[in-house]
Amino acid sequence: MLVKIALAGNPNSGKTTLFNALTGSNQFVGNWPGVTVEKKEGKLKNHKDVIITDLPGIYSLSPYTLEEVVARNYLINERPDAILNIIDGTNLERNLYLTTQLIELGIPVVVAVNMMDVVNKNGDKINIKQLSKVLGCEVVEISALKSTGIAEAAQAALKAAREKKEVVPQHSFSGSVEHTIAHIEEAVLHDLPEQQQRWYAIKLFERDEKIIEKLKIDVKTLSHIEQDIAKCESELDDDAESIITNERYSYIASVIGSCYTKISKGKLTTTDKIDRIVTNRWLALPIFAVIMFLVYYVSVTTVGAFLTDWTNDVLFAEWVAPAAAAGLEAIGCAAWLQGLIVDGIIGGVGAVLGFVPQMLVLFLLLAFLEACGYMARIAFIMDRIFRKFGLSGKSFIPMLIGSGCGVPGIMASRTIENDRDRKMTIITTTFIPCGAKLPIIALIAGALFDGASWVAPSAYFVGVAAIIISGIILKKTKIFSGNPAPFVMELPAYHMPTLGNLLRSMWERGWSFIKKAGTIILLSTIVIWFASNFGIVDGKFAMVEDLGQGFLASIGSLIAPVFAPLGFGNWQAAVAAITGLVAKENVVGTFGVLFGFAEVAEDGSEIWGTLAASFTAISAYAFLVFNLICAPCFAAIGAIKREMNSAKWTWFAIGYQTVFAYALSLCVYQIGTLIIDGTFGIGTVVAFVIVALLLFALFKPYKQSISLKTKGVPQGM
Amino acid sequence: MLAFLKDNLSTIIISAVVLAVVILIIINMRKDKKAGKACSCGSECGSCPGSSVCHK
Repeated sequence: MLVKIALAGNPNSGKTTLFNALTGSNQFVGNWPGVTVEKKEGKLKNHKDVIITDLPGIYSLSPYTLEEVVARNYLINERPDAILNIIDGTNLERNLYLTTQLIELGIPVVVAVNMMDVVNKNGDKINIKQLSKVLGCEVVEISALKSTGIAEAAQAALKAAREKKEVVPQHSFSGSVEHTIAHIEEAVLHDLPEQQQRWYAIKLFERDEKIIEKLKIDVKTLSHIEQDIAKCESELDDDAESIITNERYSYIASVIGSCYTKISKGKLTTTDKIDRIVTNRWLALPIFAVIMFLVYYVSVTTVGAFLTDWTNDVLFAEWVAPAAAAGLEAIGCAAWLQGLIVDGIIGGVGAVLGFVPQMLVLFLLLAFLEACGYMARIAFIMDRIFRKFGLSGKSFIPMLIGSGCGVPGIMASRTIENDRDRKMTIITTTFIPCGAKLPIIALIAGALFDGASWVAPSAYFVGVAAIIISGIILKKTKIFSGNPAPFVMELPAYHMPTLGNLLRSMWERGWSFIKKAGTIILLSTIVIWFASNFGIVDGKFAMVEDLGQGFLASIGSLIAPVFAPLGFGNWQAAVAAITGLVAKENVVGTFGVLFGFAEVAEDGSEIWGTLAASFTAISAYAFLVFNLICAPCFAAIGAIKREMNSAKWTWFAIGYQTVFAYALSLCVYQIGTLIIDGTFGIGTVVAFVIVALLLFALFKPYKQSISLKTKGVPQGM
Repeated sequence: MLAFLKDNLSTIIISAVVLAVVILIIINMRKDKKAGKACSCGSECGSCPGSSVCHK
């Protein structure tokens, strides 16, 4: 018989780590709340008949957030055979709030107290036997991160599920509340199984609209129980929901009083000490800037560059390309096919793969920042700044996720309840450079700036600045005006991530990049090679000697004038910017084909030398800015369409991103050439007009809205 | 005809291999997309918390 066990607990309590340990899966684990938005399922190791469901982290069973709705619906509709409630031992009081509600569901519950290693390290004591007695269910101690006690927890949950031993709630509310709940059970819920009645009665007492709707209670019965609820409220001088909350916390206080001895009370924990510095009002931002500078500097300029240079200069330039060329030549392969394979496929795919080492180093460093808990602090730090400009810190979480790939970043915006903030976050999330944009950054930094240390980090800060500027400007428009939604986030404790987790995270992201290079990028390079090497010669379709006569050059030449004011008005750059819409790595792949990456490498001369010759430093940086900010790849555009659920808003997002990218890039090129070369022209005038308009939009008075429309109830807990 | 095939045998074989690779990639990409194995973002859907949105 199939057994279903649900993993439920507060955000960042370690459910996904436990899920991975129990099922052997590789679900993404992040040390910030809200990693799991949807439930995930897996089979318990060595038990094919046991399904483990990882529910999103929730603080209560009230339908306040999307995560709570997903988790609650699963628990009350699917009714798993047992719930494994994972609670953070370092924060018992808040975690037990959910436990008290899970116990009322009438489903067997096993409580797993996680992070016991940290509790013991702090010198605190939890009396597990006593906790089990007062909660009325089995309690086990575990450390999900160190994989201790996990097998025992799984066995206990399995036993509870098979024995179908329901938990009888040990806590009771005050007399008048219990009286009202009993009345509700009698009036409305007598048809439900007995063990489910209490939870539904409490929810009806709280006037939970979704439950009222689910139970299809008629108006007459509703008004009948409403009288009882109102009477109880009047007696206790509080609203129904607050009465239940207060009573739960009173009960939890009694539980903690009997089971928990806190030795470390009043002492600053290591996390507190670190936070005093990294979230300090004045130091937080400079520290964040230095950390991100180091992340990009190390991955693109130092360690990453060393490995990338070897991949480009030795692996592709000395080994792969010459070997392929010699081999094809030896077997008498036609020149066009040699061109397709060496200049097209190896040139294009090789150019992209050359950046894999840099990307792996970046992913490793980002994974470390995520897993140790610093990324959550960034959202907290950024909230202070974002709030001043009308954005909520909650908007920064999709942007953190978007540094890997824009698609999940855009999808993570679903957790933002405020519709205006959500739309604005969707529009701006892809300004943060995703992994696919790293090859463009590394290429420009390496080929045009001789590996200057500031180029790669500046790309990240250009993204952040673009978000802030857009936030300020858009917030001053009628569509987006309004106060930012409140942002309350629990900061997880810092911990040293395990090397295995870091390497797994790095490899998963890196492997998907390599796979993409072997599929969509390879197909793209073949199309680009054919389109650039064939054209009409003397009125006939034929292979061209000069790429400038090919079909791609003809198309690119039509588009190129549009980019001329931005400094990259050559057809190759125009084509690269357009092919970047398929996948951003294609920008580098296209350059690899059109600027003869493999051919140049074969000569032993500087790789990307031809590319460097067709750009100036300023035009290259303008090209970088344009490609960082402009419309993302088709996959991300698809995600925007899904999340906006409106063609009009999707076009607005793409239009805004592209126009904004064009304006910024134009300013960079025109003002840059004025400063460096002293060139002044119509473009310079236009750039100054844009700067003036931007400054006006940034500093014009902000009319604060007097009402805040939200899709649901306030977010955060 | 035979002389043409003989003269261009290596080109024909290599072209066929390239074509086969292209077809395999397309088939594989379509199969993965239908099975919900690989998302358009390049990541595995299995580890994506929002996969249900992509594959409704």
